[in-house]
Amino acid sequence: MKHRKKLGLAALAAGVTLIIALAVALSAGAGTTKRQAGYKIFFLPKTTTIPVFTQNSIGAKRAAKELGDTLTYNGPTAVTGPAQVPFINTAARQGYNAIVISTPDGNAVAPALKRAAAKGVKVVSYDADTRPDSRVIFVAPTANSLIGTSQVEAIGKQIGYKGDIAILSANVTSPNQNTWIKFMKIALKKPKYKNMKLVKIAYGNDEPTESAKQTQGLIQAYPNLKGIISPTTVGVQAAAQELQQEGKCGKIKLTGLGLPNDMRKYVKAGCAGNFALWNEQDLGYLATYVAHYVLAGKLTGKIGETFKAGHLGTYKVQVSDGNKPVVVLGPPLVFTPQNIDKYHF
Amino acid sequence: MTAKGLAGRLLGRWETLLVAGIVGVGIWSWTLSPFFLTRGNLLDLVTPYVFVGLMALGLTFVVIAGEIDISVASTLAVSVVCFAQIFAAGVNVWLAAVAGLAVATALGLANGLLVGILNLPSLAITLGTLAAYQGLAYVILGGEGVASFPTSYTNVGGGYIAGNQLPVALLILLGFALVLGLVLHVTRFGRYLFTIGANREAARFSGVPVGRVRVTVFALSGLMAGIAGVVYVGYFGSARADAATGSLLDVVTAVVLGGVDIFGGVGSMLGVLLALVLVAELRNGMQLANIGGPTQDIVIGVLLLAAIVAGNLLRAGRTSGFFPGPIRGLRRGVIGRQADEAVRPSNVESPESGR
Repeated sequence: MKHRKKLGLAALAAGVTLIIALAVALSAGAGTTKRQAGYKIFFLPKTTTIPVFTQNSIGAKRAAKELGDTLTYNGPTAVTGPAQVPFINTAARQGYNAIVISTPDGNAVAPALKRAAAKGVKVVSYDADTRPDSRVIFVAPTANSLIGTSQVEAIGKQIGYKGDIAILSANVTSPNQNTWIKFMKIALKKPKYKNMKLVKIAYGNDEPTESAKQTQGLIQAYPNLKGIISPTTVGVQAAAQELQQEGKCGKIKLTGLGLPNDMRKYVKAGCAGNFALWNEQDLGYLATYVAHYVLAGKLTGKIGETFKAGHLGTYKVQVSDGNKPVVVLGPPLVFTPQNIDKYHF
Repeated sequence: MTAKGLAGRLLGRWETLLVAGIVGVGIWSWTLSPFFLTRGNLLDLVTPYVFVGLMALGLTFVVIAGEIDISVASTLAVSVVCFAQIFAAGVNVWLAAVAGLAVATALGLANGLLVGILNLPSLAITLGTLAAYQGLAYVILGGEGVASFPTSYTNVGGGYIAGNQLPVALLILLGFALVLGLVLHVTRFGRYLFTIGANREAARFSGVPVGRVRVTVFALSGLMAGIAGVVYVGYFGSARADAATGSLLDVVTAVVLGGVDIFGGVGSMLGVLLALVLVAELRNGMQLANIGGPTQDIVIGVLLLAAIVAGNLLRAGRTSGFFPGPIRGLRRGVIGRQADEAVRPSNVESPESGR
């Protein structure tokens, strides 16, 4: 009996050893860039399992290389604030000089970020902000007003600045959507767009089937409809698919906010003339530059401070969309059949 | 007992192996980073996983009774959003927390009634409630969050005492482990669990109130998920419907790696506590090594499988002296519960089951 038991224990011991060996072997391939002089920056995405954040990290690593800093990109599987907390704790203990973070729950990471700040770690948020009291500067992908004007221009260009247009939004209550629609309406008052008429705002609730149904409704109710703006990744994809099914590609133009990987085939088929988002690599690049300058003492978060972010040019610390201090990457990047193959997220 | 006998006994215990594992992973983490072996890091190692530990303590009772409750993380989420909604409506934070505990216990009780009274398989029942409770959490709070909790409350999860070094949450975990350990290993209720887990029919014939005890363990598991929720919100300062998402793997791993037999009837509270430390330490070490979240999940998942396989081999060793024991053990695992019981008369009376 004892013999069997020893066998079992030996098996467990072997198992544990194997796991440790596995972990050690895997750690050899971990994503730290070569150790060198300069600052140590921890780049913490919402999760490492979404391509968007991998794109952020490519830009971030490029910036770190230019600046002579060491950058570590790591994050959780689950897209929650609490899942990020152990990463914040460890980064602070490991002596990282700065944490650059995009978070799905600004409140949940705030206590951990403050503990890290108390140890001297500088925190820069990007993409999705934390609570303002737990970071130095927020790097925003764009600004609401820029999204509004850019979307109107994107559809105007496709329809020759003339004709009826509609908006396919997400939820009636979605604050982001409503702010962007407000800025679209303001933009439409400009003389350049005087021949364009907004006939309807439909709501697809960010559900593919409901968004497709609403698109169908727009096509039937407005025979003179020339274009649709759908400033949601779910809506624009569903609308493109619906236009394709109804054989309306090119007859009714489409733009919106979308992901290149979702929209590639529709753009190539002519079902969406263009659509927008921001350059995710540039966003990671800019956030890393901001973190570097915060560490160097060049940026403190005072409104009006300026700095040069490598190949992106000069930026200013400002108030944007009621939030401060913010650095804004710029107007959305418009994807077209010509440039879409350069982007993979 | 001779010194050699004592050493042999200690060596033969699962808990000893866990301690060895903790030391081993500790040495590995230490070689990775000079920051691992600091008092601050060591004391704070388990803090982010205290809520996982509290759920694991509750789940231990369920698994020892031969059942499983995979709805614990969803129960936590519902409890947390109810707590948050009641607090946001202006109720005192502590009263709201107690209401959250009541909700969690009720959800656990619902599991228990379905399993214990209707006699349905707990894996299927709690898989259903895992999804249903998660949905319920979103229905109650939507995608919003509540975060305006007072510091006097958030200190239960995120506070530190003794020169800002000792996490309050750790003390809460140890307190509950002690109390629940006593309930499990000293009381009659605890003995009932082991008896039911080892052989439910035999327990029924020897007069154990099987139905009532099975309902109670699920209610207890729900209550512990609620308590985990209170600490969770305290630590993170934020209550949302996605609370505890992704933590189920760590909870189940802590229980099974802690030496609790996945088929019931065997286990110790100390083992579960040590396994939790090992899981937390392993995650911490992997983070120091900058190993990504998905890879961490692979390692923890493999650890869970290794624990199940090793447990099976050990059980084979306990019940038979015939050589192909390990193989038969594996086979029994495949064939399932009934075959297992046929060759294992009763683990409860076995002197080598570690109690």
